[in-house]
Amino acid sequence: MASAISVRKVHKTFGDHRAVDDLSFEVPEGVVFGLLGPNGAGKSTTIRMVMDIIRPDSGEILVLGDKPSSKVKGQIGFLPEERGLYRKMKILEMLEFQGSIKGARPAAARKEGAGWLDRLGLGEWKDRKVEELSKGMQQKVQIAAAMLGRPRLLILDEPFAGMDPVNQNFFKDLLMELNRTGVSIVFSTHQMETAEKICHSIVLIHRGKVVLDGELAAVKSRFGKNAVALEVEGDVSFLRAHPGVVQVDDYGRTLELQLAPGTDPQAILRALVDRTPVRRFEVVSPTLNAIFLDQVGDAAEVKVMREEASHA
Amino acid sequence: MHNVLMVIRREYLDRVRKKSFWIGTLVFPVIMVVLVLGPMALTRLSSGPKRVAVVDATGRLFGPMQDELTRRGRESAPKDEKKSAPAGGLVLESVPLQGSVDATYTAIKARVNKDDLYAVIIIGDDLNSETNFRYYGRNVGDPQTQQRLESALQRAVILLRMERAEVKADPETLRKAMAGIDFETFQVSASGTESKKGFLEAYFGTFLFVFLLYMTLLLYGIAVMRGILEEKSNRIMEVLLGSLSPQELMTGKILGVGLVGLTQVGIYVATALVLPMLVPGASGAMASAFDALSPMRLLWFLIFFILGYFMYTALFAAVGSVCNSEQEAQNLQSPVIMCLVIPMVATFFFVSQPDSTVARVVSLIPLFTPMVMVMRINTLTPPLWEILLSIGLTLGFIYLLFRGVAKIFRIGILMYGKRPTVPEILRWARS
Repeated sequence: MASAISVRKVHKTFGDHRAVDDLSFEVPEGVVFGLLGPNGAGKSTTIRMVMDIIRPDSGEILVLGDKPSSKVKGQIGFLPEERGLYRKMKILEMLEFQGSIKGARPAAARKEGAGWLDRLGLGEWKDRKVEELSKGMQQKVQIAAAMLGRPRLLILDEPFAGMDPVNQNFFKDLLMELNRTGVSIVFSTHQMETAEKICHSIVLIHRGKVVLDGELAAVKSRFGKNAVALEVEGDVSFLRAHPGVVQVDDYGRTLELQLAPGTDPQAILRALVDRTPVRRFEVVSPTLNAIFLDQVGDAAEVKVMREEASHA
Repeated sequence: MHNVLMVIRREYLDRVRKKSFWIGTLVFPVIMVVLVLGPMALTRLSSGPKRVAVVDATGRLFGPMQDELTRRGRESAPKDEKKSAPAGGLVLESVPLQGSVDATYTAIKARVNKDDLYAVIIIGDDLNSETNFRYYGRNVGDPQTQQRLESALQRAVILLRMERAEVKADPETLRKAMAGIDFETFQVSASGTESKKGFLEAYFGTFLFVFLLYMTLLLYGIAVMRGILEEKSNRIMEVLLGSLSPQELMTGKILGVGLVGLTQVGIYVATALVLPMLVPGASGAMASAFDALSPMRLLWFLIFFILGYFMYTALFAAVGSVCNSEQEAQNLQSPVIMCLVIPMVATFFFVSQPDSTVARVVSLIPLFTPMVMVMRINTLTPPLWEILLSIGLTLGFIYLLFRGVAKIFRIGILMYGKRPTVPEILRWARS
């Protein structure tokens, strides 16, 4: 399958800081692709290099089979992490401008922009100034701007950050719909739950390096089979001493067990049944979150991630 | 190219639609109109004919004085005013002597205070006495009127003295003998041609140009800088860079704002051209104010304006791209502004010594070239090779500047947080 994006042996240093360190990954065409990693992992730097906003020190990046150029950029819908609008501009004019710098004629861009505003429920606001809109509406305008010009590829940096659940859901549905029509979608996030729900493939980067990548199902099965979720009534602290159990994550009502390689989950179930009533016992593939924490985490980082997840 | 055009389009429409643009655009012509027409209008308003009473004890001076005034009024008044104000807006009234001159004055004094009389002139009989001639007026701060009356009277008095001294000559010969002299000032240029011009004329004509240059370069440079700061603080830069290259963005911005500038200057020029047609009598004043507007000078001015525009907007763009707020930009922009202020403040020096070594050297420093060269060309046109050399140097400088600024811009526009130091910025420019 052709690649929407190829990143090959890319390095980027800012001063003494290695933001991206020998990074290589491929984004297949037509997929929803998650660029995952904790804050400061190099996600935004990577995206900026893909968009030719900054240039790598070394290495090669191909987008839609080509070196980055204005022509290529015209086929990409881009939503950066820092996304703003001209506050004093009317929103339809804003869209007209953003569409026109993707190569469209202003009149055509205006028409397309108006279509998107109608679709997003902002049709009546098209002659209002950006500063008059609520934050949620501004987010919708930004989304509309990224969708202009019928892009073949969407590159979204932390697209869901700061969105309320209604907008998040709306946007997610829109992305899925576009993906079904063949649009490749790449987005970065540190929210594993979202990524887990919608990604076909992922790359997890940490400190500028690839930690793991591939199709989500494959990644999960590589780490899978050895996790068990359970709900029990009595005390299960004995499990911590069980030789087949590597880790116990206590979430209060439910517990998650990571089993040692080769351990049969049935053996654990048998051991449990002897001691306490079991309400639920499920062999699960680990959540992306668990894999993420496992791969990325020393304790401090885990804490940071949990806090961020709870804020998001 | 398409993208640059689209950026130009947005910049242009966005700015031209703003109220502040029109206010700014109209203020300058209004000031110009006020400066040119104001004094004329004031003169007209105040010169509903001024009545001046003359108490002449000799009985011989009133007639010649009035003749003199009328003759001069006819010579100096503009065409359209000749009929309306035969004696240059002054009407003399002879007051018959009632006893002494002082008694006569006391009798009509009240009229001076009642607006009827602008002034009263008292002439005693002793032409050699120091206190023989007196001027009583409500307004003694009108030296022009006073001086006209004085010199008219002086002629009359000299004629009378000669008559009393029995110098025989016909009045016409006497008048010719008494004619005063004025220096006619010529400016000798390097090529040896002479043109008639006074220093003050040269100074003001040139200053007008230099000031226009200073104002527009500063105004539009800062407009470019503000635009970039606004895009940074609205966090819109990265959105734009998803579709545009930094060079396209910078070029479009500089050209777009430049086009707004040309629109504005076009409006100014149109005002200057249309104004004389609307107001008869303004043409003379306009012509002298725009004496410097020879086509060749205008062409040079335009060339140096464009060079200066690209040079300074690029510098201001660099300042805008590395700062996060206008407060932060204040410090960094001041050296750029200084480069504009210094030559303007030194206009007097350059106009008085246009071919001194200092002027010649300074005019070859690209940052000062536009303003100083315009001064030199307006006062004492330098040899062509010097002008061409300065243009060449400036073009070279602009080329290097754009390359450096494009690099600074590329890095700066995505930087938030601490402003980089000047050495850091220079390192970016070289990288």
